[in-house]
Amino acid sequence: MDKIVEVKNLVKRYGEITAVAGISFEVYEGEIFGMLGPNGAGKTTTVECIEGLRIPDEGRISVFGLPVGPQSEAIKPRIGVQLQTTALYRRLTVRETLELFASFYPRHRPVDELIEMVGLKGREKALVKELSGGQRQRLSFALALVNDAEILFLDEPTLGLDPQARRNAWDIITAMRKEGKTIFLTTHYMEEAERLCDRVAIIDYGHIIALDSPEALIKGHFKERAVVFEAEEVDEGALQALPGVTHVRCDGPEVTLYTTDAPATLAALVSFEEVLSDLHVRRATLEDVFLKLTGRRLRD
Amino acid sequence: MRAFWKLFVSNVKEFVRDKMALFWMLAFPVFIILLFGAVFGREEDTSFDIGLVVEDSGPAATGVAKAFEQVPVFNVHRGELSEELEALKKGDRRAVVVLPEGLSDAIASKEPLDIPVYYDPASQTASQIVLSIIRRVLEEVDRRISGAPRILRLSEQTILGRRMRYIDYLLPGVIAMALMQLGVFGTAHPIISLRERQVLRRLGVTPLPRSTFLAADVLLRLLIALIQVALLLAIGMLLFKVQVIGSWSLFAGFIALGAATFIALGFVVASVSPTEEAGVAISQLLNLPMMFLSGIFFPMEMIPEWMMPVVKAMPLTYLGDALRQVMVGASALHPLHLDAAVLGGWLIICIAISVRFFRWE
Repeated sequence: MDKIVEVKNLVKRYGEITAVAGISFEVYEGEIFGMLGPNGAGKTTTVECIEGLRIPDEGRISVFGLPVGPQSEAIKPRIGVQLQTTALYRRLTVRETLELFASFYPRHRPVDELIEMVGLKGREKALVKELSGGQRQRLSFALALVNDAEILFLDEPTLGLDPQARRNAWDIITAMRKEGKTIFLTTHYMEEAERLCDRVAIIDYGHIIALDSPEALIKGHFKERAVVFEAEEVDEGALQALPGVTHVRCDGPEVTLYTTDAPATLAALVSFEEVLSDLHVRRATLEDVFLKLTGRRLRD
Repeated sequence: MRAFWKLFVSNVKEFVRDKMALFWMLAFPVFIILLFGAVFGREEDTSFDIGLVVEDSGPAATGVAKAFEQVPVFNVHRGELSEELEALKKGDRRAVVVLPEGLSDAIASKEPLDIPVYYDPASQTASQIVLSIIRRVLEEVDRRISGAPRILRLSEQTILGRRMRYIDYLLPGVIAMALMQLGVFGTAHPIISLRERQVLRRLGVTPLPRSTFLAADVLLRLLIALIQVALLLAIGMLLFKVQVIGSWSLFAGFIALGAATFIALGFVVASVSPTEEAGVAISQLLNLPMMFLSGIFFPMEMIPEWMMPVVKAMPLTYLGDALRQVMVGASALHPLHLDAAVLGGWLIICIAISVRFFRWE
């Protein structure tokens, strides 16, 4: 498969702070590539360097084999962008905004189709300033689709959306991939990364700490299942000694036991005197992977 | 080209839907003209009240009195000396002329005689005008008595055919002021706001050339300038009967130059303002001195000498001066070519600063 995006040793500093500390990766044609990490990890900086909005301090970036910077003008018509801040003309309507942006490109998707896709039908005559946050986010998403680009850069595309709208956005992203588009998205929702992405780069403090498919990431780090419950007081030592348990994590009242033998662990837990609530078993997630790699949660 | 027009139409919609901008750009200058026009726009009564005390009863005195009464700008009141002097003290008379006892005899015998004239030196200008007219009347009477032929005659030819009223003075200035405010507020703020809210960044990832964005913005400002000028001119001409006597092409030229200069100044404000709040402060810092110190509302002579360097530096001084000359034939502070040169200089400086410091994010 062809490389659509190639990033080599990208470094970006803001004064004293190094936002991106020398990362390299490729995005291949037709895949959904995700960058997962907590706020401030360097996701937005990375994607904005690729879009040509920020100038890297070090490293090379190319899109479609064209170097970003000198060839940005040739790249721009071929990429669709959703920035994290959805800033638009406040006194234009939804339709006018889409028509305006459509006029910037040599070819574009029909505006009606876009309105339909993102679920803004019936709101097309509303001014941008009258839209709710979620509707604005969807309009911003529609703008990324306006030029029917070969690759979409979506920076936190579902931030602030309600669950219904989020699932709708996921459906559109999946449909885009079916059309043969390449998608680069950043997110700090592990569920989003797990559900959508073919490959995920986990990024923390400007470094890529893992890069693989979600399946491979989870399997590579956890053979275990997770037994989760809430308890008032727990004796970590006693939990650690339970059959099958390899690792115990206490996070406030929430306790997670990683176990190679879930039935045995559950059976043993029943004999505990403490009141355990909300007991359930789940497989490990990217969240667990992130926790294991960094010792922190994605959303703190 | 399609992007340019779409952007231009979008700009128009943004502007028209912004009630605040609409008020400041279009209603405010109109409001100023209507307000000042209503207060100062009526025909001013420029006749002078003169007291005439005739103490001589001869026929010659009647003739002299008649000569005074025939002066068109004199509103002659006859009365006793004491009551006329009282009226003078109250400010009801500009001067009191006494035709003393023995005037007719003196004329008959061609003997010199003093004609006392009382006036209040406190009201200087008017008194001097009045005194010189009185002097003229007496000289004329003198000439007739002596029968000396008039050799050199003054041939008066007015170019205005009318007097300059305050509204005539004001209208060109308010037009200039409207262009200034279109620049420092109307141009700077939408751009700062688009930048602050990162709309310019969003445009930056599309293939839209920046030059297209700027051209569409400038075209909108020029259109607003045109509407402002047309509106103010129409009100001035129809409502307050201001007559535009100058050349329309010169007028159009100065409007274009002034609009361009102040739009460029607006871009300078946008370039140097880090935030919207700073933009408002900088705009006011430019707006207030220009509004009050560049001779828009009152003549330059009233501004203290030490402020003159500021006054001389401000572009609005020159646009106001040029428009007053071109539109209503007001006397020049500076020759027109100097006005044009200073405005052109400002335009070039503003463009240079904007090109150097304008930021897209």
